[in-house]
Amino acid sequence: MTTPITLGAVLYDPKVSVIWDIICAFFEDRGVPMDPIYFTNYERQVDALVAGMIDVAWNSPLAWLDAQRRTGGACRAIAMRDTDRDRKSHIVVRKESGIERAADLRGKTVAVGASDSPQATLIPLEHLRRQGLTGGVDFEVRRFDVLVGKHGDHIGGERDALAALKSGAAAASTVLDLNWQSWNQDGTIEADELAILSTTGTFDHCVFAVRSDFARDQRWLEALFSMSYENPVHREMMDMEGLKAWVPGRTTGFELLTAAVEHQRFFG
Amino acid sequence: MEETRWSVRVTAPPQGPTRAYARAHSFEGGAPLSFDVEHPQVTALEYLLGAVGLEIAGGVRLIARKRRVTIDDVEVLVHGRLGNPLLFLRVVGEEGDPGLEAIEVKAYISSLADEERVAGVWSEVLAICPVISTLRKAAALHLTYQQVL
Repeated sequence: MTTPITLGAVLYDPKVSVIWDIICAFFEDRGVPMDPIYFTNYERQVDALVAGMIDVAWNSPLAWLDAQRRTGGACRAIAMRDTDRDRKSHIVVRKESGIERAADLRGKTVAVGASDSPQATLIPLEHLRRQGLTGGVDFEVRRFDVLVGKHGDHIGGERDALAALKSGAAAASTVLDLNWQSWNQDGTIEADELAILSTTGTFDHCVFAVRSDFARDQRWLEALFSMSYENPVHREMMDMEGLKAWVPGRTTGFELLTAAVEHQRFFG
Repeated sequence: MEETRWSVRVTAPPQGPTRAYARAHSFEGGAPLSFDVEHPQVTALEYLLGAVGLEIAGGVRLIARKRRVTIDDVEVLVHGRLGNPLLFLRVVGEEGDPGLEAIEVKAYISSLADEERVAGVWSEVLAICPVISTLRKAAALHLTYQQVL
């Protein structure tokens, strides 16, 4: 019997386990059994990856950096969603606010997501720093710490930040490009209500990470990459996970986040 | 008094659903609980919530008949909330209790009878029903009803 590959994933909602159940069944059908192990936060998941208790970790970008930091760079990013590549975050303002450039945020309040959210906090603050505005010095940062430890997977913090902007409690808020799109489509953001003030550079998001000495990923990757959006059965699963294709992992998309954690002394 | 016991036998074959046998009847079941809305069977947790609703709906019918209160229809909505559902998924680092923390029951009793008489039926049902009585000791039960015409 083939030894199952153990995969770690952080659950912010029990319903997410349904997606992993479907993905595990897909791997099982291809003769690559996989056992999911769920974690309450990324810190514990990275602990398990580093300790060799799990083979593969579905890591947030921050968890990827943490794993590299704690192993001295001894991890590999083996796969990611196509939608994990080249993401951006926006700094958004109310249209009638009169705020036209980033410098106009000086002395004002910027609402951000959870303190450990790359997309809604760390990267947008780094983006503003590069424009000469340091959070806590040049503007007030109002964090919405919803489910800290889950690295912003749960969009509650981002949504609360948006609500603060809409209510006037903040002059700006931060939002991931995908959420900006979907919230404009579903009416969370009304037309002509908000405008994008500034957009960060591109960054990559989640990756499947393994330790460098893990040698059983070849068949697992073959199975993963055999998933096709053209196949209706696969498509349902891929829609649930928000992708059209699995692509090889890359590590070139973490520059902004690397700078952010350094300047914000995230890891101390 | 001789002890009276109720027995149900449950089997879980290698393939297919579990099945419970009670007297000359049987019903199939699925997982203990599921987060998948397309789970093919009724889960154990749903059976438990169903038992609450069945007991109240059937109890209202029974007591109303005994008290000669005319009831046209009864509908019961039962919602259950777990202490921490992530414990069922064995999420590393989660704490708390996987059990039902609260059960909310809202019964709609369709009747033209005096409100006082319907209220009497409701009170009597809650006083005698064993499932409700048992669960009161284990979880926060919020039991309400509304008389509709």
